[in-house]
Amino acid sequence: MSRSQKVALFVLFLPALIITVVFYVIPAVLTAAMSFTDMDFRLRWNFVGFATFARMFEDFLLPRILQNTIVYTFLTLAFFNVGLAVLLALVTSYVPERVGRVFQALWLLPRFTPPIVYGIIWMWILDPTRAGLLNGLLALTGARPVNWMTDYPMATIVVTNGIIGASFGMVIFYSAIKSIPRDYQWAALADGATWPQQVRYITLPLIRWPLLFVTAYQTLSLLTSYEYILIITGGGPYFATTVWSLYAYNMAFGGYFANYEFGYGAALSIVLVILGTVASIVYWRVFRFREMMAEPKIEVM
Amino acid sequence: MARIRLHRLTKSFGTVQAVKGVDLEIEDGELLALLGPSGCGKTTILLMLAGIYRPTSGDIFFDDQRVNDVPPKGRGVGLVFQSYALYPHMTVYDNIAFPLRLRKVSREEMDRRVREVARIAQIEELLQRKPSQLSGGQQQRVALCRALVKEPDLLLLDEPLSNLDARLRIETRTEIKRLQRQLGITTILVTHDQVEAMTMADRVAVMRAGLIEQLSTPIELYERPANLFVASFIGDPPMNLLPMEYRPDGGKPQLVNSHLSVSLPEAARAGLEQSSSNAVVLGVRPEDIRLVPEPVDGMPAGEVFMLEPLGRDTLVDVRVGQQPIRVLVPGGTEIRPGTRVWLQWDWDRQHLFDARTEARLGVNADAGRPAAAG
Amino acid sequence: MARTVQAEPSRPQPAAGRYNAQAVRREERLVTAAVYTFLVLVSLPLAVGYGWLLLNSFSTELAHGVWPSGFTTRHWRFLFEPPSPYYPDLWRTTWNTLWLAVGMTITMVAVSTPTAYVLSRMKFRGRNAFLALTLVLHAFPGITLLIATYYVLRWLGLLNSIPGVFLVKAALMLPLGIWVMKGFYDGISWDVEMSALVDGASRIQTWYKVMLPQVLPGIASISIFSFIYGWSEYIYVITFIQDKNAWTLSSYINAIVGDFRFLDYGLLSATALFYIAPVLLFFIFTQKYLMRVTIGGTKGGS
Repeated sequence: MSRSQKVALFVLFLPALIITVVFYVIPAVLTAAMSFTDMDFRLRWNFVGFATFARMFEDFLLPRILQNTIVYTFLTLAFFNVGLAVLLALVTSYVPERVGRVFQALWLLPRFTPPIVYGIIWMWILDPTRAGLLNGLLALTGARPVNWMTDYPMATIVVTNGIIGASFGMVIFYSAIKSIPRDYQWAALADGATWPQQVRYITLPLIRWPLLFVTAYQTLSLLTSYEYILIITGGGPYFATTVWSLYAYNMAFGGYFANYEFGYGAALSIVLVILGTVASIVYWRVFRFREMMAEPKIEVM
Repeated sequence: MARIRLHRLTKSFGTVQAVKGVDLEIEDGELLALLGPSGCGKTTILLMLAGIYRPTSGDIFFDDQRVNDVPPKGRGVGLVFQSYALYPHMTVYDNIAFPLRLRKVSREEMDRRVREVARIAQIEELLQRKPSQLSGGQQQRVALCRALVKEPDLLLLDEPLSNLDARLRIETRTEIKRLQRQLGITTILVTHDQVEAMTMADRVAVMRAGLIEQLSTPIELYERPANLFVASFIGDPPMNLLPMEYRPDGGKPQLVNSHLSVSLPEAARAGLEQSSSNAVVLGVRPEDIRLVPEPVDGMPAGEVFMLEPLGRDTLVDVRVGQQPIRVLVPGGTEIRPGTRVWLQWDWDRQHLFDARTEARLGVNADAGRPAAAG
Repeated sequence: MARTVQAEPSRPQPAAGRYNAQAVRREERLVTAAVYTFLVLVSLPLAVGYGWLLLNSFSTELAHGVWPSGFTTRHWRFLFEPPSPYYPDLWRTTWNTLWLAVGMTITMVAVSTPTAYVLSRMKFRGRNAFLALTLVLHAFPGITLLIATYYVLRWLGLLNSIPGVFLVKAALMLPLGIWVMKGFYDGISWDVEMSALVDGASRIQTWYKVMLPQVLPGIASISIFSFIYGWSEYIYVITFIQDKNAWTLSSYINAIVGDFRFLDYGLLSATALFYIAPVLLFFIFTQKYLMRVTIGGTKGGS
């Protein structure tokens, strides 16, 4: 390598290297290390070996939490992050482009809204008194107000997270649909296909890779998401909506415990990473992602 | 099988007018070519015929029934794209069967028709392959089958030969023509390649900037181009076009420019008088000019500048003054650059055009007949 | 649509109604109607939700949860006096939020842009390793590292500070930023760069003078979503910043929700609107730049 190259490498690459190491690699290693200790907010620790992990088997909440996590991830993925996303991408590509873009902007809004504000909007919608939207409308029919968040907690977190999640898939699928060469659509038209037929026989098969990619990627995102759940239901009532990642957070920083049990929290996080890694490997194999990696898949227009 | 009629057809995209008013009648069973440079509107017309584009104004009739509002599905049109547009995720069989599948044709019927059309196109062994495993020529035949399997009334081909290499082109154009004759389907072919159009079509419509310049048989286009554009477009190597001034006085009619002068017989005067001004363009094809070693009365002389051997013929670039005139001579010629030669052609092989309107002037054998309109 | 008179409707048609427009058109209209119905129904809750922010912050009450009954500006008094004495100054908080957003943007751009260039255009040992590392790191979500990050920030003395938050957040978003910028660099032909090198520029000069101007759209994209994410950040702010003087609007509103949640929706919606308005407008005006980044892939079979 020439000298100018070495200099360039050094100057241009160093910032990223530093930041990555300080704020990513070191914390990752530390987390692994912490999980073997009983560290708390005083940041003093004792090495306790696998005791933190053993504790998990005795934690009576964990099975329920694991179930919550799986149910939540599956439902949100199927109905919103992939399901609704595909539908939205299809319909916004069917209508004239300007109309489509307006609706897409609307659906992207939740993603770019500060989480606390998004939370406020839902708190109002789901308010258990007449002041809330749903109960306010319900009052028109004379029915009694429903406490949505406590009566339907899982539905609440699935819907609220799903509406945000759908926009990711929508954008990706939309651009995949739009990049299907126009000739295929015209050929299908000339062959006599209606739009639903085009979707079934041509469009969907041709966006197979983005579909699989989004499924895998969003699974990981859902496994590790807890921000909105924290804001809207707090994990309640009584852990009904606590998922694994939220439990880890609460263990360390807040929620019902405010224990600052960093050691246990770290251990829980590590398990989450393992879960995520396993899921990735399974997806990689089942979806044969190696075939997809042959071409660069991030295109810029 | 259908008779097609286009009546004052126009198509605009926003402020751009792609098709400016086209009238056309195509006979049942005819193979018509729409020929023109890119952007002339020919593909737009094709897509309007298929129902993919809606005309901005004007009508399209299939067998006297107005079909402007009929979407592609209801028109019975087979369309073969330049890119073939074979569905990449389906096998050849599924590609061809697709139109039938959409119509919910029974399995046996579908199978019978797919195999029948594959047999005609000679691609039976390829039925289980995927499009990516086929060569260009094979893909085209599959695309053709897909268009033909629904027994369309009208077959539309968009630049069918342009993606094929030279040798394949010649084979394929014979193939397509044979197929069309055999099946008797009214066919419209769009191309920018005049050889393609001339060799395949019964009639050719030459188009430019959204309008038809001339609609005739290939021979007619070659022998009697209606205007400058058609004259320069048809024929390979292209016609020599020389801007000249008509001098009517002093005995025989004369055409003059700064490099050369040509005398014409008296019979040519009638036609020349029709010109809107004295500026005319003289057109003469390289193959109609002969090089002679001695002076010829009333014909120009020049010096050989360059030779392009084409094998069977040689294209000779002769400079008359500064004016280049190209002449096609038999291959094994002895002429060398620098030789002084005289050009000679029969005056009834030459074409004259009004320089301003670009229209053909009815001269030579046309004298007495109205000039061929565009 | 053609406006000309139907030319020959009364002539007997071969195979009656052979070219039948009616049935097919009807089917098409049905599909279009279904599509629009679906789109509107499904998007209605969103529109209503956001509309509420606007409506409620200026209404005395919303009858049946939807219809405003009177106009008022009293919910907006928080602009002049804090809701309760224990809240920090609103404008200082807003300034902190801006500082966070800007800091995040600068860090992201300053770090992703050169790094992506190196990864896209230079060959060196460990290049593939680093690329793989960024992907792997993405699997380590924020939650996992939160605890250890607390430790690191404390050790660096950056707890309770805005720079602490935006450095961490930028670090976590770095993989995305690098991949996006790399995509932009990959799209530039090699010729331009090679001629610069042949002309005698050093690698750094080539980057600075030749490549950088060409990836400005990428920089714009990254800046936009960095700014938006920075402005909206919640979790890291409430976890790492306890000092009220360093609060951002996120923490501010979080406190309001805690204190006034069932008491004063008016205040809640007004403060929320105040928080969201700048970033909303920013988003609307820059939306088309955001959409420039896509993930392609239509080849089903090949």
